[in-house]
Amino acid sequence: MKAYLWFAAKRAIQLLVVVFFGVSIAFFITNLSPIDPVQQTLSRITSRSGFSPEAVEQMRTALTELYGVDGSMFEQYLNFWRRLSTGDLGPSLIAFPTPAMTLVMRALPWTVGLLAFSIMMTWLLGNMLGGLAGYFQNNRLLKAFGVVAMGVQPIPYYIVAFLMLILFGFIWPILPISGGFAMNVRPGWNMPFILSVLQHAILPSMSLILVGFGTWFLGMRSLVSNIVTEDYVTYAELAGVKRNRIVFAYVMRNAAVPQLTALAMTLGAIFSGTIITEQVFNYPGIGTLLVDAVNGGDNATVLAVSTVAIFSVAVAIFIVDLIHPILDPRVKAE
Amino acid sequence: MKWKTLLASALLMSGMSTGAAFAQEEGGEAPPIQDLPREETLILQNPEGVINNPGWFNIWVSAGGGTSTGLHQLMMDTLWYIDPNEGIDGVNYNSLASAPPEYNDDFTEMTVSLSEGIYWSDGEEFTADDVVFTVQTQMDTPGLVWSGAFSTQVESVEAVDDYTVKFTLQAPNSRFHSVFSVRWNAAWIMPEHIFSEVDDIMSYDFAEPVGLGPYTLHSYDPNGTWYIWQKRDDWDRTTVAEYGEPAPQYVIYRNNMPIDNRLIEMRNGNLDMIHDLSPEGMFSIVEQEDDVRGWFPGFPYAHPDPTLPMFIFNHQNEKFEDAKVRWALALMLEARTLSMASYRGAATLSAISIPPTGTHPDDYHGPMQDELINFELDTGESTIKPYNPDVGLEIAEFVRPQFGDEVPTDEEEIRRAFGYGWWGQDIEAAGELLRSAGFTQEGNQWMMPNGEPFGFTVLIPSEGVINRLGTIAAQTWTQNGVQVTAEVAPDIWPRTEAGDFEMEVGWAVETWGGHPDLSFFLDSYHSQYVSEPGEIQPARNWMRWTNPELDALIEEVRQSDFSDLERNVELGREFVRLHLQDMPNIPVMSYNVFVAMSERYWTGYPTAENPYANPVNNWANSRYILTQLEPVSQ
Repeated sequence: MKAYLWFAAKRAIQLLVVVFFGVSIAFFITNLSPIDPVQQTLSRITSRSGFSPEAVEQMRTALTELYGVDGSMFEQYLNFWRRLSTGDLGPSLIAFPTPAMTLVMRALPWTVGLLAFSIMMTWLLGNMLGGLAGYFQNNRLLKAFGVVAMGVQPIPYYIVAFLMLILFGFIWPILPISGGFAMNVRPGWNMPFILSVLQHAILPSMSLILVGFGTWFLGMRSLVSNIVTEDYVTYAELAGVKRNRIVFAYVMRNAAVPQLTALAMTLGAIFSGTIITEQVFNYPGIGTLLVDAVNGGDNATVLAVSTVAIFSVAVAIFIVDLIHPILDPRVKAE
Repeated sequence: MKWKTLLASALLMSGMSTGAAFAQEEGGEAPPIQDLPREETLILQNPEGVINNPGWFNIWVSAGGGTSTGLHQLMMDTLWYIDPNEGIDGVNYNSLASAPPEYNDDFTEMTVSLSEGIYWSDGEEFTADDVVFTVQTQMDTPGLVWSGAFSTQVESVEAVDDYTVKFTLQAPNSRFHSVFSVRWNAAWIMPEHIFSEVDDIMSYDFAEPVGLGPYTLHSYDPNGTWYIWQKRDDWDRTTVAEYGEPAPQYVIYRNNMPIDNRLIEMRNGNLDMIHDLSPEGMFSIVEQEDDVRGWFPGFPYAHPDPTLPMFIFNHQNEKFEDAKVRWALALMLEARTLSMASYRGAATLSAISIPPTGTHPDDYHGPMQDELINFELDTGESTIKPYNPDVGLEIAEFVRPQFGDEVPTDEEEIRRAFGYGWWGQDIEAAGELLRSAGFTQEGNQWMMPNGEPFGFTVLIPSEGVINRLGTIAAQTWTQNGVQVTAEVAPDIWPRTEAGDFEMEVGWAVETWGGHPDLSFFLDSYHSQYVSEPGEIQPARNWMRWTNPELDALIEEVRQSDFSDLERNVELGREFVRLHLQDMPNIPVMSYNVFVAMSERYWTGYPTAENPYANPVNNWANSRYILTQLEPVSQ
C-alpha cells in the first residue's frame, strides 16, 4: 500500500508539472496569433458609414483599454496566472464583457455529453465485439462485424455524417437534424426537454459511433488474436478453465490495458470538440466556440478552453495511471 | 456484462441531459412555452454563425450578441430607411423621422422632425429625448458602437421640442443623416427611460429588450441558434404600421445552418426563406420543389446584391502603379469564363464600379451604354474600344441548352439578369499595354521593367463563388504569361486592412442600391483613409487608391444636396469615368444572392416582378416584407 501511495504521489507531481507547462505553452502560442481582437471589433463596427479616421482611432484606444490587451506579453502572462488562481480567465472578446469561463461552461456540457456517450459506447462495443472476434475467429457473425468495421473505418467522418443527415433527415425524415433541443420545450429539469435533448443527440452520436467503432474493433481483435497464442492461454485451456473466464478474465482483461490508455487519450478530444459534428448537425458545443474564438482573436476564450482541456486530459491520464496497477500486475510489481 | 453496458449508456445519456439542462438553467433565459401555429409563423434563415452571447440584446455594444436574429429587423428602429430595391412606396422611408432631414445652407446643422404617436414596446412614448439621449450617450461613452461616428461629427444635439431634434455639426456634411439611414444597419435609437437608469452601459445586457419595432422577443435558444419574436398587440403604434399590418404572428430566425441543412429544412417545411445558397443548391431546390422560387422566376434566380465583387489591387505595391498594367490584366480576362466558373452562368456582370442592382441599371448602366461602347483606350501602340455590350446575351445563349425555358428571351430582361456588358478579352491589346509600360516578353512569360518575371499572389476566400472567381482568374492570367498564385486566405479581411496583400478578390463597393447617391461607399475612397504602407487602416479604401481628382469629387458630394438627384447622378457618372481611366480595381459582377422563398405557408415575397424590397432577410429593411406577406391558407 505504501508503495502504491508513493507511486500515486509521484504521478500527482507529474500532473502538476504537465499542467503548468501545458497551460504556459498554450498561453504563449495563443498570444502569438496574428489576429488582433481590437482590429476585429473595429472592422465590424467601422464597416458602416460615418467613421472618419479620427473616429476609428478613438474607438481603437477605447477598445484596447476595455479589453485589457495593453501591456507586454510577460505582464499579461503574470496577469493570466493571477486571474487563473481565482478561477477567472477574463472577459471573452467575442462576447465582451461575458467571462470566457461562462461561455466554456455553457458549451461544455453539450460536447462532453455527446462525446463522452459516443466514445464510451464506441469503446465498449468495439472492444467487446473486437475481443470476441479475436478469440472466436471462426464465428460468422463476428466476422461480419469485422467486414463492417473495415468497410466503414476508411470513410471520412464528414461523409458518414452527411449520409445520416440525408437518410434520416430527408429521405426518411424521422429525426431532427439541427440543434440541441426543440424550440417548443422548456429547457430544464423536465421530461419533454430531456427527451428532446436525447432525440436531437441520436444522429450526431450515431454518426460518431459508426465511424469510431471500427478503430476499436480492429485494434482489439488484433490484440486478442496475439494473446490467444500465448502459453498461459493454452495452459488455461488445457487445464480446463471455463471458456468465459479465459475470455474475459485472462484474454480481454490483458488486451484492455493499452485500449484503456488509448481511451484516456481519446477523451481528451472532447475538449477540442467535435467541430465537424457540430457544424453538420448545428449542434451546440465547445468546438464551434473554439473556432469562433480563434477566428475572433479571442485569446481569453481560447485559453479557457485550452486550460480546461489540458487539466482534464492530464487528470484523465493520471486516473488511468492509478488504475493500471490494479489491472496489470506487471505495473503493480514495479 | 450487457446490463452493465446499458446502465453505463443510460447514465451517460442522463448525464448529458442533466448537463445540458444545467447549462440552460444557469443561463437563466426565458424559455419557449408553447407550440407555435405554423400557419401564423414565418421561419427565416439568419446567415450568422452561433451567437456567442445569445442573451445580449444591447446592440449599442459590440458584444457577440446577434444582430440578424430579428433584433435589428423586428425590434429596433431609427430615423430613415433606404431600400436597395424600389420600395413599397419609393426608395426612401421616413421611419422615426416624419420627413427628410433639413440642412442649413452650409450643411453644418441638421434638423429632424419626428413621427408622433410612436410607442416603445413597454408603453412609453417615443420622443426627441430618446434621440438626444442616444447621441449624447454615445458621444460620452467611448467604446459604444456609434460613439466614434458621433463624437467626431457632432458638436451638439438638442431637443427643440418633443418632436424636433437639432444637430450642430463640427464640419459641413450633407450626408450626416446616413448614420441614421438603414440599408442593412444604422445607429438605432435607445430607450432613454431605460438606459438613463443604467450605471454601466458597456456591461448592460438589455436582457429584456424594449423596442420600437412591431415585434417583441418571445424566446431564444440559450445555445444561440434560434430566436422567436411575437407581434406586438399595439403594432399599430409603430412606424411599420404606415405600410400595413405585419402578417406573421411569430417570426423565427434560425442561424448557424450549413447549406445542406437549409435545403433539407425548407423541403421539410421548417424554413420559409433561405438567405443564401450555392448556385447548385438553388438550381436543385427550384427544380425539385414546385412551391420554392428565387428572385427571378427562372434562371439565374439570384438577387443582385448592392455589392460588387472585384479584383482589388494594392496600389502601394509598385507592380500595380501604372494604370496600363491594371488595364492589361483586365483585358486578359474572359467574362464568360468568369461567369461560368463562379456562378455557373448565373452572374450579373458589371463593367463599371457600380453594382447592377436596384435602380442603378436605370441611373447608370443603361444610360452609360453609349459612353461605354465608345470608350477608347490608348494602348500605347493603338487605340481600341474594349467594351463588349453583348456579353450578357452571349452567356444567356450559352446556358440556354441546359436551362431551356428558364432563361429569359427578352433582351432587356437578359441585360437585367446577366448584365449589360463587360470587357472583351483582348490579349493583343493587353500585350501592347504591358509593352508600353516597359514590360518585355520572354516566351510566354511577361517580364517587369526591372527584368524580373511578372507575377503576384491573389488572396481568395476559403469557399463560395468568390473563391471560384479568384481561382479561375489566376489560371487565366497564368495562361497569358503572368504568374498568378491564388492563395486561400481565411484571414483575408485583417490582411486587407493591414495592406498585407498584392491583390485580393472581394468587394470594395456597397451602395444604397435603390438610391442613386453613391456617397455610401464613395466617401470611403477618400485618400484621408489611406495609411502608410504596412500600417493598418480603417475598413475603407482597401486598394489604398489615392487620386486628387477623386478627393475633389468626394468633397463636392459631401457638400451637395442629397435630395438633388440629378446632380448626384451626374457626380456618380463622373466617378465612373474617373474609374474607367484609372481602373483602380477590376469590377466583375454583383454579388448575386440565391435567396430561396417557399410559398408553402406564405406568399407575397419580393421578386424581380414585384421588387418592393431587398429579399435578403438579414437586412433590417426586410421588416417591410412582413407587411406584404399573406398566409397561403387564407
